[in-house]
Amino acid sequence: MNDCEHRLDAAAYVLGAIEDPESYREHLATCATCRAEVAELARVVDLLPATVAPAAASRELRGRIMASVHSEAELLRAAGERADQPPARARGSFAGSLWLPAGAAALAAGLAAALVLALSGGPSVPVRVRVASLSPSESGAHVVLVERGGRGELVVRGMRQAPAGDVFEVWIKRGAGAQPRPTDALFGVTNAGDASVSIPSDLRGVTEILVTHEPVGGSRHPTSAPLLHVAA
Amino acid sequence: MSRLRSSVRAGADELRRLADEELMQLVARNDADAFEVILERHADAAFALAYRMCGRQAIAEDVTQEAFLAIWRGGARYDRTRASVRTWVLGIVHHRAVDALRRHDVHARRRAGDAGLEESLEASERTDLQALDNEAARELRDALEELPREQRRVIELAYFGGFTHVEIASMLEEPIGTVKGRMRLGLHKLRDHLEGWEALPA
Repeated sequence: MNDCEHRLDAAAYVLGAIEDPESYREHLATCATCRAEVAELARVVDLLPATVAPAAASRELRGRIMASVHSEAELLRAAGERADQPPARARGSFAGSLWLPAGAAALAAGLAAALVLALSGGPSVPVRVRVASLSPSESGAHVVLVERGGRGELVVRGMRQAPAGDVFEVWIKRGAGAQPRPTDALFGVTNAGDASVSIPSDLRGVTEILVTHEPVGGSRHPTSAPLLHVAA
Repeated sequence: MSRLRSSVRAGADELRRLADEELMQLVARNDADAFEVILERHADAAFALAYRMCGRQAIAEDVTQEAFLAIWRGGARYDRTRASVRTWVLGIVHHRAVDALRRHDVHARRRAGDAGLEESLEASERTDLQALDNEAARELRDALEELPREQRRVIELAYFGGFTHVEIASMLEEPIGTVKGRMRLGLHKLRDHLEGWEALPA
């Protein structure tokens, strides 16, 4: 194996301890010596979790995780069932892991109404639904993005009210490193924490959608931490 | 897709007979029951790693929950050509735990990086039922124990404590090159023990 002055960095890199992993990754793309070293040492690091003392995940923790999963699965199934029964004779096309399977669950009336707009783009346009990740302060909420033909709608359930004088504002990002751009979508939620919000931008090229609290009237740049984000 | 789905609708017992890799295909199709089997199989190992790193039950539970929900939501994509599901899940937990540690104070991180933190775990929270607690895992633990102390320390501070090599160098008042060299020597010694461990359950 040829030597490389950066080979010493491989160990720090696989341990997750290198100061600038991005530039080391760039180096790895060009250096077979370092790639081989990383591959070899990564096998060791992958086994380090096996050295920790056993501990059991509590029943409560498992229950909390599955409660979120079941709620989200239900939202997704409901949206999927609606998507699978287009108003005209042609059926939506579904392919790949991101497209919803034919749903089985009963469709909640409120959700059906919320989805009508998202589904009005014509029967042959596939519908895609994604679950949003929420900040810890909103852990009781469930939010999905329903996307069809480049148009999107956020379906919000159980969000906490915005503080007095604030509204929710929807932001979009185009590209991983891009700054969030404001949209015209400002909204509030019902007493139950529900809302349906259409996103007034074409979602093609959008990589992420964010929601923040902003003063009434909205902001040009986010002034608070995102409450949720969803990959578009 | 619906055929794959309905073929396993028969029940949880059938899901439990599937390999992790097959279950992950169902999880990618939003199958909550398949996800539950993945959670059953890996929650203890995930929590144990998070607890070893974060040292506090509440933070370790948050990290474990974040990691599994990210897996459910598809924010993390499983690629079966790269690693076993177990290794992949623990990689996500590790990543989230490092993020959590870096949000917290250095004091907590130094404790986490110190060997022997696991001794603080309450006896009632321990379990001998963990799949990890087998011959191979013990051998690896022994190999780590047998490393020269300064090599073990930099590996533990980095991997379990979430410190960067620059932080470790300043903490130990050693040159950066020395710290990196110890990491490399220590990992190579562990690697040399690896022969025969390839059968370690994923």
